[in-house]
Amino acid sequence: MKYFIFRNQTVEPLWAGCDAAFSGYGDISCFDREAERLVWFYMVPPGVATQVADEVETYFEKLQLVGRQIPDERPLIVFTLVSTANTLIVQNDRKLLQAIDEFNHRVTDWASGKPNVKVVDFHDFTSRFDKGQLINWKFYFISQMVLNPKLAGEFGIWWRRKERELDLERKKCLVLDLDNTLWGGVLVEEGVTGILIGDDYPGKAFLYWQQALLTLSKSGVILTVCSKNNEADVLEAWNRNPFMVLKKEHFAAWRINWRDKATNIQELATELNIGLDSMVFVDDNPAERELIRQTMPMVEVPEFPKRPYELMSFYDHLVEHYFSIYTVTGEDLNKTEQYKQNAQRAAAQSTFTNIDDYLSSLGMKLTIMPLDEFNLPRAAQMTQKTNQFNLTTHRYSESDIRQLVAERCLVYCLSVSDRFGDSGITGEIILRPCGDKTMEIDTLLLSCRILGKGIEAAFVDTILNRLADNGITTIKATYIKTPKNALVADFYDRMGFTLIGKKDDTKQYILALGEKRTIKKDFYDVTIK
Amino acid sequence: MEERILKVMRAVFDDTTIGEACSQSNCEAWDSLHHLVLISDLEDEFHVEFEPEEIAQMQDFKTVKEVIQSKL
Repeated sequence: MKYFIFRNQTVEPLWAGCDAAFSGYGDISCFDREAERLVWFYMVPPGVATQVADEVETYFEKLQLVGRQIPDERPLIVFTLVSTANTLIVQNDRKLLQAIDEFNHRVTDWASGKPNVKVVDFHDFTSRFDKGQLINWKFYFISQMVLNPKLAGEFGIWWRRKERELDLERKKCLVLDLDNTLWGGVLVEEGVTGILIGDDYPGKAFLYWQQALLTLSKSGVILTVCSKNNEADVLEAWNRNPFMVLKKEHFAAWRINWRDKATNIQELATELNIGLDSMVFVDDNPAERELIRQTMPMVEVPEFPKRPYELMSFYDHLVEHYFSIYTVTGEDLNKTEQYKQNAQRAAAQSTFTNIDDYLSSLGMKLTIMPLDEFNLPRAAQMTQKTNQFNLTTHRYSESDIRQLVAERCLVYCLSVSDRFGDSGITGEIILRPCGDKTMEIDTLLLSCRILGKGIEAAFVDTILNRLADNGITTIKATYIKTPKNALVADFYDRMGFTLIGKKDDTKQYILALGEKRTIKKDFYDVTIK
Repeated sequence: MEERILKVMRAVFDDTTIGEACSQSNCEAWDSLHHLVLISDLEDEFHVEFEPEEIAQMQDFKTVKEVIQSKL
């Protein structure tokens, strides 16, 4: 499995063609620990803004809880939340916008202290579309998809590009030419004050470019120079040109001479004790670029812009491709202190220390009700639609279910709510009498929306206790394998049933009802009607 | 038109053997998520929009075709 995706909305169509598995909706309690990469892809759900804000405020805690459960080296990619004011039913709300900003800030801080966590700015994708394109309410209402499924193709292209960026190793060192690269003109021809850098175009473009590079060096990128010039002239220019931003002290090393650049770059690498594969060579001269490409394929050699005004976009390109913050390397300067602060803040902020605390904080209410005329259509529909958590996958129509009731089967529906909302009827069990004191579980299913919170066990245990109260002593059960229900292949084993037979794709179980089964009251408030 | 529908279905379900007998009950890949993708792709292919009630009905090749025909 390449990806395991934590999500709170329907997102599967966006990841079509990727080798991915998905969490339950908003669930963090179980995930595939073997997945190569974990992805946190939550989206702001539509709804009443203040309620949505309350929900958004819990996301960071959940994310931290996930972070604590994964090994340090396992990559975790976190999508930022996008302020989808456009997907809200009611007017944009300050509290919600704050909650979204807060999440994004905290995630960025948190990621800077964790080398395995990378943050992807999802706004980079959504900003290309207008509100009518981003959400298609029809698909939202029929399948809880916040992002229009028609954008799946675009999303796939965007994601593949992001993925390549994520995979790139951050480079460590920029090797810069001088003439027509850091300033306009040729120093030996124009002289210290004749070169173009300063107030007017094109000098201003070179000025901004140097300022941008200075910022880059402050983030930990090593700047060096490799130029065919007289060293003394350059030292003078650094010293005396009043507009020069990058001076001697900003360069970790330089080779300013008339030898070939390949030899010079090799020397720079040796002097700085870094590999050629962590260097990026920037030179306006195509012949020099070609030489380095040919002789030192490990060195990255980007094309250089033809016109000075293109330098700003070129800078963005450099940052994005070679020095992107996706990979925060941990050895960057000034990071240590920041790490300490973050660790303290994380400790103060986190209120959940384990899954149990998380589960009990949800305030889950389980309501179990017998079949009636109102829930009959839903009961039939669930047998038709549920694939994953479905032990036998018997498909029933409404009239089939009426027939089962006529045959004295018991049908119970489960509805679940928690402090974030009501998921409605999302579970079902059908029991068939066989003899006086024995019943067989004909159907047991739960919607994937509520999986992973232990609800399945609480549901089944409650039913079994009720049956025991009514004098039932033995329960039979069957698991029938389908291509989609591997999730529950050992469900009855986990529930303490005894395997008594196995044939092809079918496993048969039996359970003697004895002691009352304990339901964790701290987590589940169960009502049976 | 049949061929265009089948082409979309084959791509969505990633199965080149799909024919006019295909339905939700005999096609393993045709689950609720693929249904969503199928609907979205059919809308794009035929430049039509389906109503939620129609989407719920379109459970086999025959109804898919009927619903599309009713819109052209």
